[in-house]
Amino acid sequence: MSEKKNHAEHAHGEEHLREKHLMLDPLPRGQMNEMVMESMQTTSWKFWVVFAILSVIVAYGLFYSWGVMIAEGLGVAGVNRPAYWGIFLVNTVFWIGISHAGTFISAILRVFKAEFRRPFTRAAELMTTFGLVQAGFSIFMHMGRVWLSYWLMPYPNQRMLWPNLHSPLTWDLLAITTYLLSSTMYLFLPLIPDVAMARDRSTGWRKTFYKILALGFRGTEGEWTHLRNAMGIFAWAIIPVMFSVHTIVSWDFAAATRPGWNSTIFGPYFVVGALHSGMGAVVMVLAIVRGTMKNMKYFIRPEHFDAISKLMLIISMAWAYFFFNDYMVQWYGGDKWTKQLMHFQEAGPMGWMWFAMLIFNIAIPWAVLWNARWRATPWIVFIVGLLINVGMWFERYIIIPVSLSINRMPFTWRLYEPGIEIPLGIGTLAFFILLYMAASRLIPLVPVWEVQEGQMAHELKKYGRETVVSVSELE
Amino acid sequence: MSEQFSRRDFLKLAGVGAATTAVLTGCGPASRYVKREPYMQMPEYNYNGQSTYYATTCRECAAGCGLIVRTSQGRAIKTEGNANNPLNLGKTCARGQATLHGLYNPDRVTDPLKRISRGGASTQVMEWDAAIQAVADALKDNQPEEIAFLMGMAPDHLFDLVSDLAKATGMNAPIRFGALGMFESRATLSKAAENLFGEASLPFFDVGGAQVVFSFGANFLETWLSPVSYTRGFAGLREARTKQRGKFVQFESRMSQTGGKADEWISLRPGSEALVALAIGRLASELRGGPIPRAFSNVDPLDAASKSGVKLERLEHLAEMFAGSKGALAIPGGAALGQSNGLAVAEAVLALNAISDNFGKPGGIYLSALAPNQTEYQRPASAKEMRELVQKMFDGKIKVLFVHGVNPLFELPTSLEFRGAIKYVSQIISFATFPDETAREADYVFPDHHGLESWGYQRVATGSAQPVLSGAQPVVSPYYNTRATADVLIAAAQLAGGTFAEALPFKDEVEFLQSKAASLMNAADGSISAADINTFMAYFQQHGGYWKLSDARGIPNAADVLNRTFSAEEAQFAGEGEFFFIPFVSPTLAEAGANKPWLQELPDPTTTVMWNTWVEMNPETAHELGIENDDVVKVVSEAAELEAPVYVYPAIRPDTIAMPFGQGHTAYGRYAEQRGVNPADLLGQHFNEAGDLAFAGMKVKIEKTGKKKPLSRLESLMGVYGIGLGEE
Amino acid sequence: MATLADLKISEVKLSEEQTGKWGMVIDQDICTGCQACVAACAMENNISFVGEEDSGYGRSMHWIRIERFWEGEYPEVKMTPNQPILCQQCGSAPCEPVCPVFATVHSQAEQLNLQVYNRCVGTRYCANNCPYQVRSFNWRDYERPEPLPNQLNPDVTVRRRGVMEKCTFCIQRIQKAQDQAKGEGREVVDGEFTTACAQACPASAITFGRVDDPESLVSRLTEQNYGVKHLEELGTLPRVTYFKGG
Repeated sequence: MSEKKNHAEHAHGEEHLREKHLMLDPLPRGQMNEMVMESMQTTSWKFWVVFAILSVIVAYGLFYSWGVMIAEGLGVAGVNRPAYWGIFLVNTVFWIGISHAGTFISAILRVFKAEFRRPFTRAAELMTTFGLVQAGFSIFMHMGRVWLSYWLMPYPNQRMLWPNLHSPLTWDLLAITTYLLSSTMYLFLPLIPDVAMARDRSTGWRKTFYKILALGFRGTEGEWTHLRNAMGIFAWAIIPVMFSVHTIVSWDFAAATRPGWNSTIFGPYFVVGALHSGMGAVVMVLAIVRGTMKNMKYFIRPEHFDAISKLMLIISMAWAYFFFNDYMVQWYGGDKWTKQLMHFQEAGPMGWMWFAMLIFNIAIPWAVLWNARWRATPWIVFIVGLLINVGMWFERYIIIPVSLSINRMPFTWRLYEPGIEIPLGIGTLAFFILLYMAASRLIPLVPVWEVQEGQMAHELKKYGRETVVSVSELE
Repeated sequence: MSEQFSRRDFLKLAGVGAATTAVLTGCGPASRYVKREPYMQMPEYNYNGQSTYYATTCRECAAGCGLIVRTSQGRAIKTEGNANNPLNLGKTCARGQATLHGLYNPDRVTDPLKRISRGGASTQVMEWDAAIQAVADALKDNQPEEIAFLMGMAPDHLFDLVSDLAKATGMNAPIRFGALGMFESRATLSKAAENLFGEASLPFFDVGGAQVVFSFGANFLETWLSPVSYTRGFAGLREARTKQRGKFVQFESRMSQTGGKADEWISLRPGSEALVALAIGRLASELRGGPIPRAFSNVDPLDAASKSGVKLERLEHLAEMFAGSKGALAIPGGAALGQSNGLAVAEAVLALNAISDNFGKPGGIYLSALAPNQTEYQRPASAKEMRELVQKMFDGKIKVLFVHGVNPLFELPTSLEFRGAIKYVSQIISFATFPDETAREADYVFPDHHGLESWGYQRVATGSAQPVLSGAQPVVSPYYNTRATADVLIAAAQLAGGTFAEALPFKDEVEFLQSKAASLMNAADGSISAADINTFMAYFQQHGGYWKLSDARGIPNAADVLNRTFSAEEAQFAGEGEFFFIPFVSPTLAEAGANKPWLQELPDPTTTVMWNTWVEMNPETAHELGIENDDVVKVVSEAAELEAPVYVYPAIRPDTIAMPFGQGHTAYGRYAEQRGVNPADLLGQHFNEAGDLAFAGMKVKIEKTGKKKPLSRLESLMGVYGIGLGEE
Repeated sequence: MATLADLKISEVKLSEEQTGKWGMVIDQDICTGCQACVAACAMENNISFVGEEDSGYGRSMHWIRIERFWEGEYPEVKMTPNQPILCQQCGSAPCEPVCPVFATVHSQAEQLNLQVYNRCVGTRYCANNCPYQVRSFNWRDYERPEPLPNQLNPDVTVRRRGVMEKCTFCIQRIQKAQDQAKGEGREVVDGEFTTACAQACPASAITFGRVDDPESLVSRLTEQNYGVKHLEELGTLPRVTYFKGG
């Protein structure tokens, strides 16, 4: 808590501290609960306009276009020889990356007891689940015969055919399924006290809805103990699952014999890359939630942007380190085809993307986030987060279709030009936002009990003229 | 488990699962979406699951390669070469493979048609009886000399039938023509043989037996004369396992597929081939010692070097190569003959062979063996002779024109004005299998069977040491309401009566074939023999033809060659423009392949372009003109102008452009129509001394259009040319 | 604990994998690039044609393609020897382990890479992992208007959209010949049958046969020391040997 002490030294008194830190600015529990309920139930016409537009985009971009693709075949997309994989897999990796940050923020920060996490764990966890839904869409779109996708599952069948456990894609499927299930549960557990709260404060269909979700939670000591235990187990257990997912996603590429892909560092490189884009996505979501939803300025404050921005800066540095490591070793290896590929990535027709990736992922975060005032300004951080996401999408694009253009058979080299991937990709983005918007009307985006718990643990004490923050150990 | 989970529950769940599976599976198209209806009246010799194989003859070009067609349940499934046929020994080219896409082409003429008005699209389906009556009327209602037959280079049996008819009735003798023959300059070759060896014949070049081959433009690995046989010869030349690997040098201005296989590719100025051949002859004679023969005495190698653009040292090196080899062979062909001095080129190159004195020796020049039932070499009409026919049509001397096996409105350059001439012909009757350009202009279309549904034979004109008569038989029953043209003519002649009926006193086509084959029945040295004609014909069909067992190639009488004088004059070029223009036959499409989808999808062997026409241009020229790959340019000749995308081709002279012939159909079915352009349209009316078209004797201009049309290529522009990989 | 007997069994297995069973020799020096093999393959194996646009976008379905490059600049320009590339039927094929549903599997009996069309779900991982880039994907249901389907070979499955396909060494011909030989109580004789490409090749540049039979033509050719196997350094154990010649 040395950080907080530092702040205290510069404080201009209690008022300032309270204004700055949510944990030191408690409101009566009832009022806070009402604020959260209000933020959920106050829906302006603008919301519905956006909702309707997004619905149309989803209906056309996702469902209609996918229907066309199922009926016509993958020919309507831009995949070809040699770029057999295209934007569908770029999006898959991208969405899995997004989904990383949710769990990362929530689980790691929970495990490390980082107090600033409290108001936005839910918002991050929702990203995990909804991001994985989009990843699922993207991977199924990618399949040539999606109607047979259940063949990937190990189900008992007459011919005793099982999935091939040698294939990284099978590992992938298992890892993503595990991650989806465990992250959904991990989202659900801390939600229970909040929906119980909402149940007690609503009527009609909402009451029924929350009643079902709350599983009869009444807040007894025993229930809290069980919940805490379960959350403790999940918070620890989900961290290796999270690492495994993106490592395995990276093995889809690293385990292949292709130049540029066959790299031993892809595992951690992908994990850090996922965190990079995921953190960017979290700040974007927070900025939007703070800016658009009622009462959210109280819960989400510049201090949170400041804290996440510091994490972003560190992750950006880590990403740069891994990127350089991968680049350096591949380049030094001197393999003819790898060198050709690296030259193509930088100087070929998609070279602009390679440079944009470096600028968005490294240069801009480094240039902006060192400044304490900038990194606490929501709109600035929003833009940085957006650029990081674009940069990370570019990174995946470079790794997948751009790298696939170059192989060991120069006679087949060819560029990839996306086709129906574009509406489908926009469709997944719209669907993600749509799900998020729907969720914001249905479940408390702020884990109000966690905030209250934190506020109870925080106290401002005076030692002489010094105001000092004191935190009591909770569990 | 059974306590909580009843059997009923299990069935319910299983039902849900099965329904889901069924729904998911149902998302796919019906797995039997390719319909293969059972053959309702399957021939009795067919068994389910068993294939039947028939020997027949390939009709994709006139070479006459033997085929074995695999059929299953009355359908032709696959063509293979007939291993017994001495011409192709079991091999086929791509066009022979794709002949099935002709047989089962979705755009065939399915019934006899009468056109409502000339040139119009609407037609009326006729009965065959009425069709035969129409042919009979056409024969008897006109003077015999007003009736002309224009035929393709295959099949020979129909040509024989029409020839007999013409001989007996005084009709015009049938004229045979084909674009392949035009681009091969067959008249030039035979005229040169006549001038040098005293015998008009098609020379046979024994590439396989040679040690060094100098080819002056001959595209013998593509469509030239008999590509399968010559490819085998080339493999023999290169056969390094049994003897020393033979060397191959190609002289041309644009690297052909054949040139691509050369050990040395010599780019020379178009029109200087004769000069170069004679210069090499002179230099080689000098190397050999002794007096310079008269044939080569009046050529100055230095002059040849400067005029041809081939350096003197290079010529000396080549002469050394030629003179130093025990088995050197020089072949004239391709664009080299299609110039104003084509005959001189053919003669000069043939004369070069005198250096190695290879006439009638292995690895040298022979005269092609005549087929078993042939008495003299018959060559197709030269372009000049076609022009004479056109003139007769213009003059109203032809009232009825029968067309079979050729598509003059596509194959003949527009400048020869065939299209204008048909206006003066009162009746045009086409026997086309496919709705081609000529059939579209015909008053009647009486479709012949596809080659694989037909009886017949084809004489092997060249390519085999043994005389070969390749036999054809139907491998499947006709798919549409078509009828063999021979049958139509026989029936019509009977109806017409008089000399017509006397000329063709046959029941049907098969009886006619028997009459033609009867003389071979007990001939000496034959591959088959039989006591009665039915047995003989059965053998003939079974073996895919009849051939002699011994070599019957003629030995050229070349005693006088070195004492003749040869013209070393360069070619004259027609038209204004800075570029020599080389049209070449597409090796995969040839003149009639454009309607076969898999031939369209075969990459061109040199450019790998599919489904279109392109203009080949040297990279330096393209750079100077600011033209890139896929830029559409306008090629302007004195006769016409065409637009096509550019292929920047690294192996063409900077002062030359080239275009493939084979596309640019305005009719001929969905795969051919409105695809690419026909470079024959650019050709003017210029002939060489032998009457062949000087198709490579034009100069053209190039104009930019600012349009772009990406060519469909198999190759990668990035991987092969480094285009788009980024600056180094 | 491995016994001596176990060791021997594993050695035998290894060597079978090393040598393979069926193999091919392609003489690039005499290949003229005429495309007869490509056409023959398409006709034998019911390969779809895809039309101008798709074929120009790297979607043609050729199971065998003839590569050629250029050397030097005009006028000293040369076409490199034509190089027919088809599935190399690797003994240790990179395409095989990556398929999640076992659609591309190794035939122990024939030592070939099989493609089970019915099982393929179209992840295209195999094609990415194929160093030779010889796999073709059915991007669409390519149209084959009536009556063209009459030509289809009844021994070969017609593939629909979403399915990967590739050269099979004409396995239907292998099976037919083996069945025939078995029925007659004998072994398949070298040269008794061959693949469609080898059968058509006018230059006889392609030779097919048993590489595990030292007497076969293909073995005797393979043993000549100037043969090259493509990308052998990847440990794929390709079964196609190329003679560069020249």
